[in-house]
Amino acid sequence: MTSVFALFLTAAALLVTTAVYSLIITRNLMRILLSLEIITKAVSLMMICVGYVTDQMAAAQSYAITIIIIEVMLLVVSVGIVFGVYRQNGHLNTDDLNNLKG
Amino acid sequence: MPILFLGIPLLAVVVLNLYTWIDRRSAFFAALIASLCQLVLAAYAVVRCFTTGEAMTSTFFGTVTVDLISAVVLFMIAMICCVTLLVAEELVKSHRFTFGGTMLLLMMGMNGIVMVRDLFSLYAFIEVTGASSFLLIAINRKRDELEGAFKYFLMSALATAMMLGGLTFLFLLVGDTSFEAVASYLQTRGGEHPTLVTAALVLYTSAIAIKSGAVPFHSWVPDAHSSAPSPVSVVLAGIVIKVSGVYSMIRLYRDVFGFDPRLGQVMLILGLASVIIGALGALGQNDLKRMLAFSSVSQIGYIVLGASTGSAIGFVGAMMHFFNHATFKSLLFVDAAAILHETHTRNMDEMGGLAERMPITGVTSVIGLLSMAGIPPLSGFWSKLLIVIALWQISPWVALAALVSSVLTLTYFLVLQKKVFYGKLNEKLAHVTECRGRLRFVELTLAAVNVLAGLVFPVLLMLLRGNGML
Repeated sequence: MTSVFALFLTAAALLVTTAVYSLIITRNLMRILLSLEIITKAVSLMMICVGYVTDQMAAAQSYAITIIIIEVMLLVVSVGIVFGVYRQNGHLNTDDLNNLKG
Repeated sequence: MPILFLGIPLLAVVVLNLYTWIDRRSAFFAALIASLCQLVLAAYAVVRCFTTGEAMTSTFFGTVTVDLISAVVLFMIAMICCVTLLVAEELVKSHRFTFGGTMLLLMMGMNGIVMVRDLFSLYAFIEVTGASSFLLIAINRKRDELEGAFKYFLMSALATAMMLGGLTFLFLLVGDTSFEAVASYLQTRGGEHPTLVTAALVLYTSAIAIKSGAVPFHSWVPDAHSSAPSPVSVVLAGIVIKVSGVYSMIRLYRDVFGFDPRLGQVMLILGLASVIIGALGALGQNDLKRMLAFSSVSQIGYIVLGASTGSAIGFVGAMMHFFNHATFKSLLFVDAAAILHETHTRNMDEMGGLAERMPITGVTSVIGLLSMAGIPPLSGFWSKLLIVIALWQISPWVALAALVSSVLTLTYFLVLQKKVFYGKLNEKLAHVTECRGRLRFVELTLAAVNVLAGLVFPVLLMLLRGNGML
């Protein structure tokens, strides 16, 4: 049981590290969205794993499915925003997203 | 009955979308009716919770509950949504149907945050509130609006991911996510796994600090608030950041995690940094709405400071400042909306002498700003007084710092007044006239609420004292 938990934990930690690394280095709006998605996926993985360890699969599954639904809703809104930025700027680079500062 | 607070907005959205083919103009009307219904219901809930002293539980397995704090916040949500819809009906010209529907969803999300008794439901409703706010900010798809919305989305997605991470740790320890189960576990067996509990606490605290715009995480607040359409700034600054940030903070630390002196110190530092840096940031702005947004950061700091003391007096002060900030900040943003509508600029250097052209806006903004600076007898004075008294019991230096930042508030208030309302009238603005109709009504009502609240608060404090709550 503990080894399974350690495996899942390592996978989730790796996913979070990957996502944070790409969040730091990328200058592309779409990639920022993907990184955020990967972080949430890592957390969902953790949720499933915790359900398995504590023997509460039913609750964990319903949580994971709800997380997926909420993520889809957020992704629709955020891709809409990124699409709007693309139509205004003609590209997805974050360097031009600096009108507001101070 | 609490389920009505979720049911009414949801039903209104469904009905609206079914009847689009009859009349697309009905969206504002439906949203206004829903928020008026909520105003009445919440007023009833406040009175009932205050007189009986117990919470109202719904039939849904007791998962949604309205106690006195929730009832007061529900009332504020309804009030600010009413104000926003009245302002928006005057100012929003395109996408009116989407605006009305999204406002209803935003209202439902905030009502959910206020009433839930479960950590996972809290996460779900925070996401609903967040998504509707991004939509509202970017509703006209202009460049700055999209940029502000994207920055808000980025910070908010990080915050909710952290919140989910903390939730996972607590789920691992407790095996349940309801407030009662987590609270009783942390009280009885919290010392068994200190690392995991601390990790969950740190994740939750950072998530909530991002959501409420406390200082190290405040970067999105001025961007989102200043770029959003005027009515949306009213609802964002007036209630959204406070419900999804500060309210969840107060709720979690009172009912779930329990108050801990170390946690209090972290909140004290967050609050103090927000108060000072927010006020200094506001001083350096040329953009009217950006200045008001920075002052939101500073005032949110006061609420966090009041909550960080952990004493009853600090808590009452925090809740009072919660109410006051909702009223005077929405009043100031309505004034900013009126000015922006008439002058078509947010740059304060291009304004000047507007007081003779827009007397009502000028007077109401003076009332709002004096209340914010804590001048007696306006409402802001009482809440700041309570917060400073509570801080004095913890450490006189912090109380002194809070008082000094109150002077900073007064300073940027004077800068704003001088640049916008006093001085010589700019020739370009000779055609400007006073706002009319609903905007004027909203300004006068909110200013009256500010003055009346200042007169009622001493009576309320006596009542609370008699009730044994203070």
